[in-house]
Amino acid sequence: MKWLFAIETENDLIVICRLMNTFRRKTVKPLSFAMSSSPEDYGVIFVVELPESEVEHHFNYFRRTEGVRHVTYYRHSLEAPASFVFVDVEAPSLELSQWPQLFPGSRLIFASHGKALLEVPEDYAHHAAPEGGFLPFARVKTTRGAAGAEAPGTVQ
Amino acid sequence: MENPVTGSEILLESLKRENVEVVFGLPGGAVLPLYDALYSAGIRHLLVRHEQAAAFAADGYARATGKVGVCLATSGPGATNLMTGLTSALMDSIPVVALTGQVPASLIGKDGFQEADTIGISLPATKQSFAVSSAADIPAIIHRAFKTAISGRPGPVLVDLPKSVLMEKVSPQYPKDDDSQRPARSREWREEEIERAAEMIAGSQRAVLYVGGGAIHSEAWQEVIELAELTHIPVTTTLMGLGVFPSRHPLSLGMLGMHGSFATNMAICEADLLVAVGARFDDRVTGRLNGFATKARKIHIDVDPSEINKNVRADLALVGDARETLQALLAALKRLGGSVAGSGRRQWMARIEEWRREHPLTYDKSAPNMKPEYVIETLARHTDEDAIVAVDVGQHQMWAAQFYDFYQPRTWLSSSGLGAMGYGFPAAIGAQMAFPDRQVVAVVGDGGFQMTLNDLATVAQYRVPVKIAIINNRSLGMVRQWQEIFFEKRYCDIDLNFSPDFAKLAESYGIRGWRVEHRHEVSDAMREMLNDREPCLIDFWVDPTENVYPIVPPGASLAEMLVEPPRVVLQEEEVLDDLWAV
Repeated sequence: MKWLFAIETENDLIVICRLMNTFRRKTVKPLSFAMSSSPEDYGVIFVVELPESEVEHHFNYFRRTEGVRHVTYYRHSLEAPASFVFVDVEAPSLELSQWPQLFPGSRLIFASHGKALLEVPEDYAHHAAPEGGFLPFARVKTTRGAAGAEAPGTVQ
Repeated sequence: MENPVTGSEILLESLKRENVEVVFGLPGGAVLPLYDALYSAGIRHLLVRHEQAAAFAADGYARATGKVGVCLATSGPGATNLMTGLTSALMDSIPVVALTGQVPASLIGKDGFQEADTIGISLPATKQSFAVSSAADIPAIIHRAFKTAISGRPGPVLVDLPKSVLMEKVSPQYPKDDDSQRPARSREWREEEIERAAEMIAGSQRAVLYVGGGAIHSEAWQEVIELAELTHIPVTTTLMGLGVFPSRHPLSLGMLGMHGSFATNMAICEADLLVAVGARFDDRVTGRLNGFATKARKIHIDVDPSEINKNVRADLALVGDARETLQALLAALKRLGGSVAGSGRRQWMARIEEWRREHPLTYDKSAPNMKPEYVIETLARHTDEDAIVAVDVGQHQMWAAQFYDFYQPRTWLSSSGLGAMGYGFPAAIGAQMAFPDRQVVAVVGDGGFQMTLNDLATVAQYRVPVKIAIINNRSLGMVRQWQEIFFEKRYCDIDLNFSPDFAKLAESYGIRGWRVEHRHEVSDAMREMLNDREPCLIDFWVDPTENVYPIVPPGASLAEMLVEPPRVVLQEEEVLDDLWAV
């Protein structure tokens, strides 16, 4: 089962190093990985293959790591309603500018170095993600408040 | 705005503001400016003889007091020598702040003399690490370090301080908030989950409370006792949880797991409900996971959400501070009224008593030679109820866990998760510094003691009145036991017969020391040691063939524990010469 994690940390490389070390120790091997930075924080997003029985532990482990501000995880969803799309343009050579056209009404959550996470209108992900570089996801849990809203990202 | 002062002075003022009483450390080049400021700072510093002892002593101080322990080392080897102690503190969730010197900022990354990537090395050994780049940042970083160390699930925090930062002069601004000693712990459970837990407890017939170190960190011992007495549910503790429940309480089951008693482990096997409080279902507790408490539903109370379902799936998870959660649970149980102490519990305790009679936790009391268990029992008879016992790792640690009587929390210091030999003696020093008037005894093995005995000099120098009881079996006893039982007696490199005469060694440091070789001498020696107001050492030469039982073999379930030596060993009539033939 594929899962997507989005982690927001303090703007401190020590926290990122700690997370990378955790990946190694907990045998989390990202299939796809991207990082973004801003003056206030770092963002990490990655897709990983994990048994369902383990994913909650990783979510909890990441969120209790010092310096981590927020963690959200998403389940790869081919059947169930998915309202997020992960884009990896390295697979199908898509231009950055094409994304909004492919997913009208979408909101950019994260984008960095050819990888992006978009929130799309309900169930739109399945219809509009025929290419191999698009993965539909459904949000499972987030440490953000009740609104559950991801902070909009910036394209880098 | 205050007048400009050096980073060293700011650091020491920050430590004072965190109510630091004592720092365990060893100076070196990168921290010379700090030691210069320390000269007149009014903070007590204890010079250890190896930085590992500084970390262990800070850990011992923290376990005994519940406050943050502080250790200090120079850059490079000083910092790397702290790492075993910090890893042990991390495994056992002990609040320690480690201050490490670093080469001047301009030399970082240039492989200068005594430069090590302390931050990088510390990542898996700490809860959080801070690299200080400006003296102006010191007050906020130190404040945060202390807060982080003690909040949530406690743990060690490292602050790396370049020499240039220690010498930099700035006008400091100290945080106004002074609540860093007050732990912040989040709560994630909902009231209806507490109600459900209460109903699960009320509906159970064969429940067991399984209590770990988290109950001590959150100071939940009164609540544990109240819960047990309200519901008539027996209590077992982990190695970390010893002391949270009085050993002589009628509902006490002692320790569970690899060296838990037969009755305790059988109670776990037959329980219909397990209430885990601040415990993490580690492998030494569970044995083979798919054979652990298979008949029991599990309620797991823990402040760390990542412990939930990590090893054992919980039927109900209550993430939050143990004390606060138990208080809510007690209130819910009281609302349920008299039904919480179900009638089946009387039968359950009777069944446990049968198991106790069947295989009591005991040893050969008629043996003419000096059994280590006897030494521990005698120690327990002579110590005060608030005496602090610090142990190393190995057989003596398990005998102490099995045969010592615990009356109150924070009296048992043990490197439990990491199992770091050499811990006991410096941890005792740390505890004694916190409580100079209480009895503090380091119960150590002859193997572990040789890893940190250089701090006899520390004890002698500061006249720290710790008592050292060496359970000397002239071998790495636990390794020998495993080689005997599980490796067909192929004894390989466990012989410690070439140790020094520990009593004479102590004397050479100016510490009174003597050897006890006979059972009839133990009681008088123990009394004499404990009545001495100075540090002293007794080298107890115990039966070197004694093993720790019960034992759950590796890969076995608790039900498959060995309560006595395997038959084949009994039949072969063990002879001492066999042991030392290698």
